[in-house]
Amino acid sequence: MKKFAYEFVLLGLIGVVLASAAILDPLFLSQNVQLELSSEIWELGLLTLGMTLIIITAGIDLSVGSAMGLCSVSLGLCMHANLPAWLCGLVCLLTGLAAGAINGTLVAFIKVHPLLVTLATYGMYRGFAEGLQSATTNAPVDASDGIKSIVTGGFPVIPVLFTALAVWTAILLRRTAAGRGLYAIGHNEEAARFSGIPVARLKFLIYTYTGLLAALAAICYSARRSATAEAGMVLELDVISAVVVGGTSIYGGRGRLIGTLLGVLLIHETRQFVDWYWQRSELTLIVIGTLLILAVLGHRFLFSRNPQTQ
Amino acid sequence: MKFRREGSLLVLVVLLSLLAMLFDSSFVPDNALDILINGIPTMIIACGVMLVIVTGEIDISVGSLLGLLAAMLGLLSSTVSPGLSVHPYLAILIVLTVGTLIGLGTGCLVVFGKVPSIIATLGLLIALDGVQDWLMGGGDIKHFPQQLRNLGTGTRIPVNLIIAVLVVIGTGLLCRKMAMGRRIYAVGSNPSAARVAGISEAKIKLFVFALTGLLTALAAILWVAKLGNVSTSTGAGLELKVVTCVVVGGVAIRGGRGHLLGVVLAVILITMIRTVLNFMDLGSEAVKWQRAIEGVMILVAVTSDHFTQQQQTGGSA
Repeated sequence: MKKFAYEFVLLGLIGVVLASAAILDPLFLSQNVQLELSSEIWELGLLTLGMTLIIITAGIDLSVGSAMGLCSVSLGLCMHANLPAWLCGLVCLLTGLAAGAINGTLVAFIKVHPLLVTLATYGMYRGFAEGLQSATTNAPVDASDGIKSIVTGGFPVIPVLFTALAVWTAILLRRTAAGRGLYAIGHNEEAARFSGIPVARLKFLIYTYTGLLAALAAICYSARRSATAEAGMVLELDVISAVVVGGTSIYGGRGRLIGTLLGVLLIHETRQFVDWYWQRSELTLIVIGTLLILAVLGHRFLFSRNPQTQ
Repeated sequence: MKFRREGSLLVLVVLLSLLAMLFDSSFVPDNALDILINGIPTMIIACGVMLVIVTGEIDISVGSLLGLLAAMLGLLSSTVSPGLSVHPYLAILIVLTVGTLIGLGTGCLVVFGKVPSIIATLGLLIALDGVQDWLMGGGDIKHFPQQLRNLGTGTRIPVNLIIAVLVVIGTGLLCRKMAMGRRIYAVGSNPSAARVAGISEAKIKLFVFALTGLLTALAAILWVAKLGNVSTSTGAGLELKVVTCVVVGGVAIRGGRGHLLGVVLAVILITMIRTVLNFMDLGSEAVKWQRAIEGVMILVAVTSDHFTQQQQTGGSA
């Protein structure tokens, strides 16, 4: 039980948010409202799956939101050309894969610091998304019926897909050699290399996986709203916040997927409730920013006896 | 080969000017001053952020902080409601103080709270943006007293440019000639050696974060003075531009290495790219690709840098 102490703290915090919601405005907790508001959580959730792996290796990916925008535009272009839904989806996934692979190549094989790589691609992917959009359709493209039916159809494709990917990622982290390799890289990359862990290959794969997840998130977003270069704007902040609030150390080597999922839930419910009850977006920003700092402070004071210095 | 990086940046600046001169021979004389003036906020803040990065930390809250301080200056000095018509010099003093205190607070979070600086400043980036929106209540702030505007639109002498040059010279002296500057580099290149040498890591880091706050406040004042307008999006995204300039300028993201001269050239280069792209008039299509072109250039700068470094250190990363 002690092992999951921080996760229980997160659960407690989620409880506090929901309890205050129940007192202030019980309507927020009703099934319809929660279902309505839950549509955004899947995009955040998908991206955090990859980000958790990356941060565990002491890396970071600032470009996820921009990659999502680029994927969304590529999806829009295909829909604009009236291609069948499966082909649109495939092009979108390939775009995400390519975006992730560029990050991965630079980080893993050319060994540029991930903060620098993704800072550059953050601007670059968004720039390409904006350029492509204004050079072709010049406006957001409404989702075609084929894409829309993924989200609005009777079968909950997105939640099921998310759950499957989350379970797969958790098993990867906890039960496979590759997962242990990721923790080893985060603890001490040099040592990991000497003990025969394929450091470069693992790093390349997790950045590429994150690109793929960005494409999936772009499909969710585009189906829910429309295919546009705006997709995923500033989402990277929420993604990193959720992973860090979930107890993953930004220095690498420590973190669990269950923590991330609780972090996503906490950020999502806090954001939605503050938005819903006070209708003030600026208040939401203040609350989320403070929550992020307090979570890291709290984790340090409660759980780490000998704080890890850099 | 000490100034290898500075040399290659200078070559790029010259090449870019020549390229623009191909299209119009009067490009440089006409636009040089504009380019320098447009780069002022980035330059001033980059001086502080560079020192933070040299100590091995990072500050990504400067964009939101600039927005917040600009809004604060607006509310204090604007002559039209909701402005309070405070005397502009008093308003400036208050803004500088608040900026320094927020910077100091960030430093305390990092030094005493032991929150990793990227997370602490990410939290502040989000939260301060919220505070800015809350202060402004949605509308733009306009109508500033003339004394304040004179700082940015000085009739003959560009006061803001002189201030920026003074800040750069001051930072350069700090780095090269003062004990504090040596200590900043010492903390960044080898923290444990610095500790053994009796340097207080905490004091140094508090100093650089507070200085960054102060410089951000200064940049906010000049920003408002020049544009005479504050909106809720003021300062958004500036932190990435500043960090990009510092890194392209050759400051090592892991701390301990980097020259101010490189950062100055990088600010000029990155400010120039947009002006030149605008100027070359490649047709309306090209304008839409500006951000993409900028992104590619930054990626090339960051990556090529790595190749040259690898050669120097014999291949080890």
